[in-house]
Amino acid sequence: MKIGVFVCHCGTNIEGTVDTAAVAAASREFPGVVFATDTMYACSEPGQDGIIEAIKEHKLDGVVVASCTPRMHEPTFRRTLERAGLNRYLFEMANIREHVSWIGKDREANTNKSADLVRMAAAKLLKNRPLFSKQFPVNKSVMVVGGGVAGIQAALDCANGGLKVVLVEKDTTIGGKMAKLDKTFPTVDCSSCVLGPLMVDVAQHPNINLHAYSEIEEVNGYVGNFEIKVKKKASYVDWDACTGCGLCVEKCPSRKATDFFNEKLATTKAINIPFPQAIPKKAKIDPDFCMKIQKDKCGVCAKVCPSEAIDFTQKDEFITENVGAVVAATGFDLFDWTVYGQYGGGKYPDVITSLQYERMLSASGPSEGHIKRPSDGKEPKNVVFIQCVGSRDKSVGRPYCSGFCCMYTAKQTILTKDHIPDSQSHVFYMDIRSPGKLYDEFTRRAMEEYGANYIRGRVSMIYPKGDNLVVRGADTLMGAQVEIDADLVVLAVGAEASVGATDLAKKLRISYDAYGFFMEGHPKLKPVETNTAGVYLAGACQGPKDIPASVAQGSAAASKVLGLFSQDMLASDPQVSVVDIKRCIGCGKCIQTCPFGAIKEIDFRGMKKADVIETICQGCGICTSTCPQGAVQLQHFTDNQILAEVNAICRF
Amino acid sequence: MQNLEDLKEQVRKALPELDVVIGWTGGYDPLHATPHFIRRDEDIDKLQVNALCVHNLATYLPSMRGKKVGIIVKGCDSRSVVELLQEKLIDREDVTIFGFGCTGVVDQTKIRRIVGDVGNIDSCEVSGSEVKVSASGTEHKLAMSDVLSEKCATCRYPNAVLSDHFAGAEITSTATFEDGYKDVVEFEEKPEEEKFGFWLKEMDRCIRCYACRNACPMCVCRDHCVAQSRDPHWLSQEAHVRDKWMFQVIHAYHLAGRCTECGECQRACPVDIPILLFKKKMNKEIKEVFDYEAGINPDATPPLMTFKAEEDKITERKW
Repeated sequence: MKIGVFVCHCGTNIEGTVDTAAVAAASREFPGVVFATDTMYACSEPGQDGIIEAIKEHKLDGVVVASCTPRMHEPTFRRTLERAGLNRYLFEMANIREHVSWIGKDREANTNKSADLVRMAAAKLLKNRPLFSKQFPVNKSVMVVGGGVAGIQAALDCANGGLKVVLVEKDTTIGGKMAKLDKTFPTVDCSSCVLGPLMVDVAQHPNINLHAYSEIEEVNGYVGNFEIKVKKKASYVDWDACTGCGLCVEKCPSRKATDFFNEKLATTKAINIPFPQAIPKKAKIDPDFCMKIQKDKCGVCAKVCPSEAIDFTQKDEFITENVGAVVAATGFDLFDWTVYGQYGGGKYPDVITSLQYERMLSASGPSEGHIKRPSDGKEPKNVVFIQCVGSRDKSVGRPYCSGFCCMYTAKQTILTKDHIPDSQSHVFYMDIRSPGKLYDEFTRRAMEEYGANYIRGRVSMIYPKGDNLVVRGADTLMGAQVEIDADLVVLAVGAEASVGATDLAKKLRISYDAYGFFMEGHPKLKPVETNTAGVYLAGACQGPKDIPASVAQGSAAASKVLGLFSQDMLASDPQVSVVDIKRCIGCGKCIQTCPFGAIKEIDFRGMKKADVIETICQGCGICTSTCPQGAVQLQHFTDNQILAEVNAICRF
Repeated sequence: MQNLEDLKEQVRKALPELDVVIGWTGGYDPLHATPHFIRRDEDIDKLQVNALCVHNLATYLPSMRGKKVGIIVKGCDSRSVVELLQEKLIDREDVTIFGFGCTGVVDQTKIRRIVGDVGNIDSCEVSGSEVKVSASGTEHKLAMSDVLSEKCATCRYPNAVLSDHFAGAEITSTATFEDGYKDVVEFEEKPEEEKFGFWLKEMDRCIRCYACRNACPMCVCRDHCVAQSRDPHWLSQEAHVRDKWMFQVIHAYHLAGRCTECGECQRACPVDIPILLFKKKMNKEIKEVFDYEAGINPDATPPLMTFKAEEDKITERKW
């Protein structure tokens, strides 16, 4: 093999601390290298043309580029090789930027390390073989997991683009957190008025198949051909028959069921429909509170139902959906704030969460839009808001900013004044974060027009005094301690990954961060892609996001899906495992350890052997490290290729 | 062994249904036993079971797959059989296991060190507490405790953990897991340079005969062993300590969570390299991380033969 080495300056990014010309000179001594040069920007058009010219002039059949991380530009250079007529896998990249120039200042040491990395790359390249992709067909339908505003937007955009969409929602209605909000910032328009029409569109769209009260059970397959098992949870109501008339809810005598939609501010009936605009508007029985299911008494709902939809014996049902792509839009949940003993840890009824306050403000909430203290139902006059509860707090393991709390707290102070004109709001804040269009103006309005009293500092304790609460905190701008008598305390509770998000991530084989938020493909350039082909992200499941950002990401994910499906055939990645049938002793250890079920047992002339299903294999390499005799080899990362690298670096 | 006649009777009854029963018999001199393949009734009379029966006969099982095989096992050997069953390398219905309570076997290296020349053994008598050896006309009375194999001194499984027939009474053991790994703990505590120097010196003696591999019941790759393969080319053929050592490290890694510590590798080593220590180290780690011991439960899945995105005791996300 004739190898050409191109050492990139990356402007001064690399050249600043690495003598690239010396690296090129050293490279000329490495086995197989016939040509080496340094180049200003290898990825630029003149840089790529230089590589092509060198390939032709020196009859190169392998190329090493020493530059940045392969995550960004490996595809770029592989295309360059193809334009020059070489196989794209006869290419290796030595990362001398992230791994060398950016992390060390010693020019001599950096130059030596860069030369070593090039030596490794060249040694591996000598063992590389041309690899070729195969084509496979695409199932042009998409599953959206989660029916909050991001999922709704993604589903509608995909459906409008002509794709068949399966929307899976774990609750009985879509709408997500946005459906619980009263008004939205910074326009203070009614949340359900803007979301409602979108929800109706979902219900009526001929391309959308909605599975509400369902969860993902199992994910098999790969990009273009996923096979997903969905659990339709038992609602004890035949939804095909249910018309959502609500007669059953009206007559149900069991009134103590937990009202999750109203954030447990009130109780609801054992059979219920969460809110009037629910989509689908179908009733569900909470079996823990249903007297028929618990004690085999009652059964009133079944008697009054005009369409005989009640079915007390209903069981969970499993269905399988075949789709080509998945959009995860599972949103967020609120941090469990009761870990804060200083805020009462949950023992004071008049300390509530911001989302409970939203339900209180909402006309469809349990108090029909009247602000009433949970303890005695009185209207509060002094309302204290505490920000950053479970945000920006390392002591509770939540060092990140939830992003939207500053804005909704400002909104809630405005709404408080609207509802109770003689009320006074006090806000304990750390910093005000309002970097959006019209956002900062909005917080100023809360302070200046609506008279919200903003106090920069943290609250040290809340304690009861008579019927009221005293909030004691620091005013760090005044350098003084403050105590405020509060009728009601509202905690701006931070966002965390939704319950079960990590389980879903494992099923979808996508990564998640230390807090359970899903990892995007690249923090800047691949914000809605994941590192698993065909799986995309939308909304707060990737990190806390407000409504405009969630909607934008929903649309972005949909555009990625539509882009993927603009092709009829996809090319498979040839970097998959292959079994050397001569070496395989058929012990099946690889079958047991493969996380993707990509290896099957076959019968070869009466002997058991392992065989890789190419389209399912993700190229993780676990089988190759499991196989004791090295019979399974990952293409492009074979033992011999890796050993060549090790031997190049460990010379003695 | 006290109940040898019971065992013989059990073998005699089972033999018509079996292709072969593997046991031990007298070897090339009175001090050594040798594996014995019983195919006919008259072979049964030659069966010998005593402290000289060191060999782990489970090593033969994978290569005899498809035949109906009976096997006589010590407690430690039975763990190898169980591990082979766990890995589906042998079939339960084809294997008939004859167990007995084992009181331990000798370490021939220890005997050789005391007796000196073992090339001319006249006689050998083994009792519960003593080994009487007559070599080149000289009589040696060796206390069993002085010549007992290390693994037997801390044995926790003297009885077959899985058997179809069991001869005699079970033996009780009071040894704990920690007892068996004192040598590993002691070695771990040594300074790095001393440990490195120790292995450099020990491994330098290796003659790359691969007797350790061939004696190992869990080494099932046989002709496909990476030791001699060019593709993948893990080891060079150079006579250098790094390649010798590398092979032992590969061997230990391949046995992590699978090794039942029968000690055959170390026993088979002609130059007495303490290679069992590598495997014990791995097993100690496996116990700590996965709370697992190989070859105890035929239905258990060895931890390194599974894939879990998150392990209970490996906290990748909390450094």
